[in-house]
Amino acid sequence: MNKRQTRSFALISTAIAAVVFLGMTVDSHRQFPKLTNAQQITPEVTRGKDVWHEYNCINCHTLFGEGAYYAPDLTKITQQRGAPYLTAFLKDPSKFYDEKRHRRLMPNLKLGDEEIADLIAFLDWVSKVDNQGWPPRPILVTGASIPGMDLTVAQQNATGGDQPPPAARPVSGKEDPIALGEALFRTTATPVCSACHSIAPGVNLAGPSLAGLASRAKQVIASPDYKGKAKDAEGFIRESIVTPSIYLHPGDMFSANGMSFMPDTFVKSLTPEQIDQLVAYLASFQ
Amino acid sequence: MRYRSQSVAYWYFAVAMVLFGLQLVFGLLSAAKYLGPDPLLNLLPFDVTKSIHTNLLIVWVLTGFMGATYWMVPDESRGELHSTKLAYIQLGLWTAMGVTAVLGYLFGYGTGNKLLEQPLPHKIVIVICMLMFLYNIGMTIKKAGRFTATEGVLLLGLTSAAVLYLPALLHYENYVVSIYYRWWTIHLWVEGVWEMIQGGFLAYLLIRLSGADREVMEKWLYVIVGLVFIAGILGTAHHYYWIGVPHYWLPLGGFFSALEPLALIGMAIYAYNAMRRSGLSHPNKLALHWTLGSAVFTMFGAGLLGLAHTFPDVNKWTHGTLITAMHGHAAFYGAYAMIVLAMITYALPGMTRRPVEESSIGYWAFWLQLGGMFGMTLSFATAGIGQVYLERILGLGYLDVQLKIQVHFLMLVATASMFSLGAGLFIFDFFRHAPDFNVDEADPVLATPRASGAAL
Repeated sequence: MNKRQTRSFALISTAIAAVVFLGMTVDSHRQFPKLTNAQQITPEVTRGKDVWHEYNCINCHTLFGEGAYYAPDLTKITQQRGAPYLTAFLKDPSKFYDEKRHRRLMPNLKLGDEEIADLIAFLDWVSKVDNQGWPPRPILVTGASIPGMDLTVAQQNATGGDQPPPAARPVSGKEDPIALGEALFRTTATPVCSACHSIAPGVNLAGPSLAGLASRAKQVIASPDYKGKAKDAEGFIRESIVTPSIYLHPGDMFSANGMSFMPDTFVKSLTPEQIDQLVAYLASFQ
Repeated sequence: MRYRSQSVAYWYFAVAMVLFGLQLVFGLLSAAKYLGPDPLLNLLPFDVTKSIHTNLLIVWVLTGFMGATYWMVPDESRGELHSTKLAYIQLGLWTAMGVTAVLGYLFGYGTGNKLLEQPLPHKIVIVICMLMFLYNIGMTIKKAGRFTATEGVLLLGLTSAAVLYLPALLHYENYVVSIYYRWWTIHLWVEGVWEMIQGGFLAYLLIRLSGADREVMEKWLYVIVGLVFIAGILGTAHHYYWIGVPHYWLPLGGFFSALEPLALIGMAIYAYNAMRRSGLSHPNKLALHWTLGSAVFTMFGAGLLGLAHTFPDVNKWTHGTLITAMHGHAAFYGAYAMIVLAMITYALPGMTRRPVEESSIGYWAFWLQLGGMFGMTLSFATAGIGQVYLERILGLGYLDVQLKIQVHFLMLVATASMFSLGAGLFIFDFFRHAPDFNVDEADPVLATPRASGAAL
């Protein structure tokens, strides 16, 4: 091989690669509208994108996994956190996270109401882009989603000693209501309960930890602040699922203006039987 | 120094050195914020220090490229630069652009588009500077009437770098489409045309330092350029994972990214062989250290560590974690920072009163930087592996995981300090000797290597 031949190799291979690349660029453009739901890019979404850029969000967070690695990925955040939660968070992040404990905190950007609404609209649009199924498993901001790790000894006993751990077993529909409730908690309910509630003590996600729920429910019912109708722990849990705003868990990160951030749609999306199973499961946290 | 106008390069290098030092200040600040809590949270938050860190990198490396080109082209074409005045105006404009951009970031002015944060007026100045630069170089070559293949590769790389910056000037309504074209600039720069620039400098340095045969070196340079582009252009696909583009980019990215190390391994073998065959004959051994170091560290940082997370089945877990920071630091330092430092080390004795023979400060600067950067790469790698396992695979929350990998951030700060010490020594060594722009035909820098190189 002489110098002229290697030069031709460089030129021809570059040209071929460039042509193929440009061809695929054209084809990608053909598919962008469908993959990105381009018809849903409303003026609100566009303004939200400008907010995203203006506040330099990408140099701490990632979106589609791109950006800086100093703060959580936000690609699917609106599927994990509702708009009321995100609004309250953006108003004052320090009410949600403690810099002493987490060692980092988002500065208060002093966003206006409209900016926040637009930004959430943008993030919601992002969460619906067809991005090849990434992430393969939800990326949580805090808490844990390790199946099985969060079971109490009592629950493990309730589903039999010689069987594999409950989380590893498919549910056939004939099990103990507690086990069925547990499966619902992680899978069936939409949004899934475990997206916002941990059952590990002291781990507050978007919603408060449900550890020790039954005994705490009794304390709440006995307290003078309680205005609901429940008489026992089961009743309290049922009431909280069906009408979340009747009793508000203390803390600015869980409610605002007398409204809980928890969706009130479960009464419609779950059957009465399923709600019974969830209650049975949650009441098992003594 | 053989041509008077080559002295322009000194001032470009001087600006590059100052910006390099500044880049490390902001890098160390950003690293410290990983340890937290951050007392500067409301004054100088992470997003600001991080964008200044990356922007200064781009600006100083490009300043270094321009300076090195102003040094190399008169040498290769055997003639004075077309206009030194234009080169100084360009440097002034360029530096003003860089400084005002950084000041702007401090006060929150920026586009918020990763690595392309420069506001539109700054982007336009960048384009103007590049045009001035290319015009000046083009006219120099035209006047001299001698155009080598090494120059050709370098110049084509620089021109394409300017052209590929243009998509960054456009505005896209759809965020996914804007990401798509952002990579035309960023990826095709660092994994395409900048590698051409690196290859051009590498060939120049090897020919000068080892006395390797020009025909052979340039022949292989073309092979490397061909390999870079086959893999590099279609390898853009590995940035098109998970962002909302058609699915065929996934297998394509896996295949062509796997080819990318080939060119880089080729480059390292090329450099190593050139040195072996000719037996380290040039008195400026320190420059040879930087030259070979650049080729080898590129193979490690860009080639190997890139390959480590480039397959879609791996990348779906590692995407957007500190694994990317691991690859980014090692690749950019090896390929671009080190080649600029090599050109500076080679050219400096010709422009200052500095002796050609190596000094111990020079070696300390080299090994402290190398050791420090290797340690930083390992810190990011261990932190990243921990993060992927705990956060992505076990499903622990992001914030909880970051607390569990604190020890790696401590290691990062320690090794980054070591790196900064080495860089500080390099900068000190640069400014230690006053400039001396005497034109000297018998300049020892240009000494022909004692043992003439055998063919590769």
